[in-house]
Amino acid sequence: MRGENKRNVLVGIFVFIGIAILVAGILTLGGQQKKFVKAIHLKAVFDDIGGLQSGNNVWFSGVKIGTVRKINFYGDSQVEIEMNVEEEVVEFIRKDSKATISSDGLIGNKIIVIYGGTTMAPPVEDGDRLESVMPLDTDKMMETLQENNENLVEITNDLKKLTSKLAAGEGIVGAVLTDSTLAESFKSIIGNLNRASVNSNKMLTDLNTFTAKLNQEGNLFNDLVTDTTMATELRETMGSLKATAANSEEMTEELKAITDKFNSKDNSIGVLLNDEEFAKNLKQTMINTDSATYNLNRGLEALEYTWPFKKGFKRKAKAEEEAKNN
Amino acid sequence: MAGDADRKPVLSKKIDKFFTGLASAFSFVKRFFREVFVPPYELKEVVHQCYRIGVESLPLISLTGFIVGIVFTNQSRPSLSEFGATSWLPSLISIAVVRAMGPLVTALIAAGKMGSSIGAEIGSMKVTEQIDAMEVSATNPFKFLVVTRVLATTFMIPVLVMYTDFVALMGSFLSVNANEMVSMTTFFVQVFESISFLDIISSVLKSLLFGFTIGIVGCYKGYNSSKGTEGVGRAANSAVVMAMFLIFIEELLVLQIVNAIRMM
Repeated sequence: MRGENKRNVLVGIFVFIGIAILVAGILTLGGQQKKFVKAIHLKAVFDDIGGLQSGNNVWFSGVKIGTVRKINFYGDSQVEIEMNVEEEVVEFIRKDSKATISSDGLIGNKIIVIYGGTTMAPPVEDGDRLESVMPLDTDKMMETLQENNENLVEITNDLKKLTSKLAAGEGIVGAVLTDSTLAESFKSIIGNLNRASVNSNKMLTDLNTFTAKLNQEGNLFNDLVTDTTMATELRETMGSLKATAANSEEMTEELKAITDKFNSKDNSIGVLLNDEEFAKNLKQTMINTDSATYNLNRGLEALEYTWPFKKGFKRKAKAEEEAKNN
Repeated sequence: MAGDADRKPVLSKKIDKFFTGLASAFSFVKRFFREVFVPPYELKEVVHQCYRIGVESLPLISLTGFIVGIVFTNQSRPSLSEFGATSWLPSLISIAVVRAMGPLVTALIAAGKMGSSIGAEIGSMKVTEQIDAMEVSATNPFKFLVVTRVLATTFMIPVLVMYTDFVALMGSFLSVNANEMVSMTTFFVQVFESISFLDIISSVLKSLLFGFTIGIVGCYKGYNSSKGTEGVGRAANSAVVMAMFLIFIEELLVLQIVNAIRMM
């Protein structure tokens, strides 16, 4: 009887532990997959869901917040996804958030990713439809990759032809690579180029120094470039110069008219300058004048010793003597 | 009896025997369902059989489950490491253990241990005419021997499957922890991430079916044994073989049904 009781207890314990494992498993599974939390339903419409299934996870900011509840066809050929999203995270998801389909790892399960959203928009509500963003299509990626591959093949073929020509010494580069004389010449050219570059570098340095000097404050060029007052003055000066030039032109024209008149014999200066006969007469007149002056001078000297001028000349000489002594 | 032997076969002797056996098995199952709901319920015997089938099988089942967990993890690691995906080991093991290996390994071990035991026990009672004696003493031998054992296997196998799943996952955790340095929390989070309620429900329902199969096949083979001690041995052997065969067929059918539900 006691053995039978012990057996019953053991069976009870055995069954209890077995059921406990089952219940613990169900609760853990439910807790982890958010089966027992309050949730709201959100929707999104995609052209292509790329193998997304009911039960796949919904992520927001890298955190699992729900699961895909239902997948229905919508419109002509679109697909509407209905998601269960935990009620407690709803306040963080805004009405202008977007939904896209991504992958849980490189070769992982498909997931819905909710992202974006601004604080300007209110939080989502039950039944809201989020804007969907189509994910990268792997087929299209593969097509592009295939195109790239084909291009790569063409490039490598061209490269192969090029290198074989180079190896055969064809073309300028091939000749440079294979012909030793040409290589030496090329080396020399490179040396010259090197020197030229050194010189140009030096020249640039000098030019740099020069421009630095030009840029120093107080420098005429610097003032020309930077001083706005000076520019105004310069502009005014230019205006004045322009006016002066106009005046000069006018004056030149007048001078020309004058010189034209000088060249003609219808005026006194023109006659004076151009008439030879008048010049001869004038010369004779000057000779006559000189002679007259000489004779007058002699007369005046004689006048000094004659009465009544003699007394006056003596008085003048005396006054000059006194002034010199003082 | 001589008349039965001389009777002309309907299709052929072997085909006739197969269909006769099928009809006999069907009527045996039908009788079980007729008897199971009718009192008296023989609860003491049910508990006794539960003890024998459940508690006494626990060490063997646990050890087997533990080894299965470790071996399956270690065998899967090289394939996954080729993709750099050893972090998927917990998910892989949990799907394999919960969906298929737990129920299957438990059912196969139970079929080997209990199916043969039930077949041999009832077979020996049959050939030694103990069953006839029970009928004479106003005890329903079918209810006492068959219903109790089938009920015990039907309800103990799911419990054993829970133990096997748990122990196999612990064995897998030891291996994963030793090699990938994954903590227990991370391991079990990944385990439960990849399975669903459908997996657990299908696992439990499948275990009930496996348990029923083991019990009913063992009892049927034992109850219909003949030809003395040789017949007892044959009953025990064919109980194991038939139970294992049916378990695999059921596994296949259940898999198809569950996949169909999963796609809905």
